[in-house]
Amino acid sequence: MKYTNPELLEHLASSYVLGTLAGGARRRFERLQRDRADVRVRVAQWEARLGHLAASVPALQPSAQVWKAIASRTQPAASTVAADASARGLLGWLKPAGFGFGGLAAGVLAASLLFVTAPGVFLSSDQVAMRTGEKLPQSYVGLLTDAQGKGKLLVSSLRHGKTMTVKVLSPITAPASGTLMLWALPASGPAFALGPVPVAGSAVSMLPDTSEKLLSSVSKLVVTLETDPAPAAPSATLVFSGNCAKLW
Amino acid sequence: MKPDPEADTRSLEHLIAAAARGDHACFAEVYERTHLHLFGVAVRILGQGQAAEDVLQEAYVSIWKNAGGYRSEVDGQTLQAMTWLIAIVRNKALDALRARTRRRESELPESGDIDEDDIQSTGHPAPSAMQLLEQASQALHIEGCMNALDGSHRQSLALAYYQGLSHTEVAAHMGAPLGSVKAWIRRGLEKLKGCLAAQGVVA
Repeated sequence: MKYTNPELLEHLASSYVLGTLAGGARRRFERLQRDRADVRVRVAQWEARLGHLAASVPALQPSAQVWKAIASRTQPAASTVAADASARGLLGWLKPAGFGFGGLAAGVLAASLLFVTAPGVFLSSDQVAMRTGEKLPQSYVGLLTDAQGKGKLLVSSLRHGKTMTVKVLSPITAPASGTLMLWALPASGPAFALGPVPVAGSAVSMLPDTSEKLLSSVSKLVVTLETDPAPAAPSATLVFSGNCAKLW
Repeated sequence: MKPDPEADTRSLEHLIAAAARGDHACFAEVYERTHLHLFGVAVRILGQGQAAEDVLQEAYVSIWKNAGGYRSEVDGQTLQAMTWLIAIVRNKALDALRARTRRRESELPESGDIDEDDIQSTGHPAPSAMQLLEQASQALHIEGCMNALDGSHRQSLALAYYQGLSHTEVAAHMGAPLGSVKAWIRRGLEKLKGCLAAQGVVA
């Protein structure tokens, strides 16, 4: 069809603007509009004509949430300014205390503490990571401490990955018998084992599925002393525990 | 004449141009001035509820992102800012309405299954679509001209415009044959064009 008949073009343009042109005819007309200036003019004229009809529609007030959502989607700069300021404040407090974990650990620790203590601020993980001198990919992170609050284990896994790294932060006394097992405690449902825990250095293991699938509703991680090599549930002997945080 | 420093006399066109340059305060002003009316347009089509609020949100985010694409003149044709804004909201509302209709048609109804949208959209509040068309015609001084059309022509046009109904839906609503409805709407649009031109309303 050549689309030169002005009556046909008027009919199509008016139907398109009204909303009654549908399906294939609508798609064909959209292509026509892209290619032809005269068609665009007709559409603009019909938008103006029909737009006048909207004047009688009664005004209504939407909920305040609407503007908040629009603002957060159109003005991201505001939230990263807040994240920067808080990151500086918290890191300033950490350094003199001398945690001494080394650059990467301190960065992850600071980031996960920020998430746990002020989640509203943790809006741009990239900004925080860059502040600590490390650019970290989206990950699940957990810092496990002993009963005295001393950092013992750092557990980390890329958000969409299956590899989990468990790093020993301060000396762990190897148990006389049994093994140390790492468990994930989801918000609801039974705990599930992530794997055994090394007593020194770092151990990398494969998770049965991606972190995202396994850990997205997990808030706590614990290490227990198990005598059974393949326990179904955590024993009563809790050795270390900590939060599971999302580093993004 | 000294401009009143208190009154914000910036036109919508200027505010949108400023928003296009990244001025978020001007964009907020655009929202301030237009969101009540545009929300009304969305609700007419989708009914009260989350759907209309979602459409409003999507529309304004689109307005922010595409502010640079607004031209007060399109290939020699004047395009007022409000016309542009209404078109964005209305098109998104129509898309959402069509998606909702498709979803409903493809889902098997289960007894006791309550669709929130169903509750909100059944029974449109006064004024009716027909009344809205009459009010708009009066405001444009084309009431007399438009009244030359049969009531069925005006009603079918009103249902399609204000409620976003398709030809088929208008036919079902009015209990009229589909072919007749198509002809009535086409005639109604032509008449609207003629009446506006006769009034000297800039198209």
